[in-house]
Amino acid sequence: MILLSFFLVAMVLISLSMGYIQIPMMDIISILIGKLSGNHEIMKNTSETYLAVLFDVRLPRILTCASVGAALALSGVLFQGILLNPLADPYTLGVSAGAAFGASIAILMNFSAAVVSVPAFAFTGACATLFVVVFLSYSSKNPIAGLSSNNLILSGIIVASILSAGISFLKFIANEQVSVIIFWLMGSFASKTWSNFIVVFTFLVIGLFISMFFARDLNLISLGPKSATSLGVDLKKITFILLVTGSMIAAICVSVSGIIGFVGLLVPHMVRFITGPDNRKLIPLSMLAGAILLLFADTITRAVLPHEIPIGVLTALTGGPVFCWIFKKNRFK
Amino acid sequence: MEISLHNISFAYNNDMIIKKMSCSFVSGNFYSIIGPNGSGKTTLLDLISGFLNPSSGDVCINETPILSFSKKEISKNIALVSQDYAINFPFNVQEVVMMGRHPYISRFSHPSSNDIKRVKRIMELCGICHLYDRKINELSGGERQRCVFARALCQDTPILLLDEAFSNMDINHTLHMLRLVKQAVKENNKIVISVFHDLNLASSWSDALLMLKGGEIKAFGNAQGILTQQAIKDVFDVVSLVEFNEHVQAKQVYYPSI
Repeated sequence: MILLSFFLVAMVLISLSMGYIQIPMMDIISILIGKLSGNHEIMKNTSETYLAVLFDVRLPRILTCASVGAALALSGVLFQGILLNPLADPYTLGVSAGAAFGASIAILMNFSAAVVSVPAFAFTGACATLFVVVFLSYSSKNPIAGLSSNNLILSGIIVASILSAGISFLKFIANEQVSVIIFWLMGSFASKTWSNFIVVFTFLVIGLFISMFFARDLNLISLGPKSATSLGVDLKKITFILLVTGSMIAAICVSVSGIIGFVGLLVPHMVRFITGPDNRKLIPLSMLAGAILLLFADTITRAVLPHEIPIGVLTALTGGPVFCWIFKKNRFK
Repeated sequence: MEISLHNISFAYNNDMIIKKMSCSFVSGNFYSIIGPNGSGKTTLLDLISGFLNPSSGDVCINETPILSFSKKEISKNIALVSQDYAINFPFNVQEVVMMGRHPYISRFSHPSSNDIKRVKRIMELCGICHLYDRKINELSGGERQRCVFARALCQDTPILLLDEAFSNMDINHTLHMLRLVKQAVKENNKIVISVFHDLNLASSWSDALLMLKGGEIKAFGNAQGILTQQAIKDVFDVVSLVEFNEHVQAKQVYYPSI
């Protein structure tokens, strides 16, 4: 864990230095120390341009990216744990489709002039979807089957497919705005601001606290509903709390940065091979690994590649084959 | 300690599984529930463990309705070895057995030396020490059942419910586990209620049998009294020979081979 934390800090520093304007590492460190300690003496011999690039452009983007990576990984751990299904990811319950639908509407109705409203619409869409999915899979008449993982996954898939048909329709009637919708859906961290970072980070910290609070209960859920209940786990309550936590985190990620696939599915799997399934270790390590992975991908698309390609595409293109390799190697050893 | 069922009924969508059942179980006894498939055995255990709530009537521990206990309090009183012993993530055996201590370990704290000692001792008793760091989902059915059994023993409760807990164990391990349980019943004054399909084991190990059919109690009492050819014909629709076996020191049931 300490190793990964160091790695993340190093990754942040390296990605800060990389880009269209190369900033020497010494300048970055002195600027950061100067800002943090409030001692402006240290920053005297660094240029104003560096300061602006670092603080107004790169740092918010990098921190947002790392937080989103951590949040998606956390959400993935929660969903795989609750749904007892290694195929689950943050978008299983249709959160991404809901967010995408909300965003598409906002773009179509030309709300994009006001910067806030696309993410706000996306978030509302995601929450509404979650509400519908939980409503569909819960029944007060048959409390045993209520909120079971099969119900949740099925209702998630149904709602998501309705919504994606809706998105296709919106694209169809969008005419020239179709490219805006498509580009938004593919995800990007370009021009993220400090307020984006603060929103994601706040949700991330709250989510982390809640999930660590229930981490041991999440372990017990994997024993099956009866055994978990007999060990004192209030199954319905915990399923609901963690489901909402996981979905909220995923919703905020999608509304800030679009749909970034694979991090939520891949990272918990990779980390589980190393730490084992104990959620008390899995949760923090997955978050660190998720942050590193997404930051790595974002740095490549931002600073290494000649043209910036959408990060959602990059993560799926690179993450997919890596996952195939790990999967094949571990499943059949 | 006493568990009493007051006129409990339970229905899944208008389908009565348990019909107005009343009886009580007291400390220091090993009870067995026997009955044909679908007679409500597992449902009855689920009602006693508080996993299901009766549609009407009350399940009480020492005359306090079980619904008034918190989940945590119930888990310190009742342990359950259920039939769903498939575990979805690759926890190792020691971790699974330690989960039995969950009700006693407060949030964010680590297991105390007492917890660790207890887990170790129970694993020795159950003969699963050698499986210590094996992954639970890579074990055979019988081995996995022994681990789940050990987990329930670690829970250290006055009441232990066994739902076909021996179904995948070989005869050696079945007898070993039964001895453990019986000893706990007699020495620590526990209540054990076990669902059995093997009538002969049920007869020789339990202090009382509860015969269920169609969600109703057909007979409740010691095996010597209630295990008869007629009762087996009525409940299971099977022709049999029931006689006292000197060697087992209990009534045994024999079936025709054609």
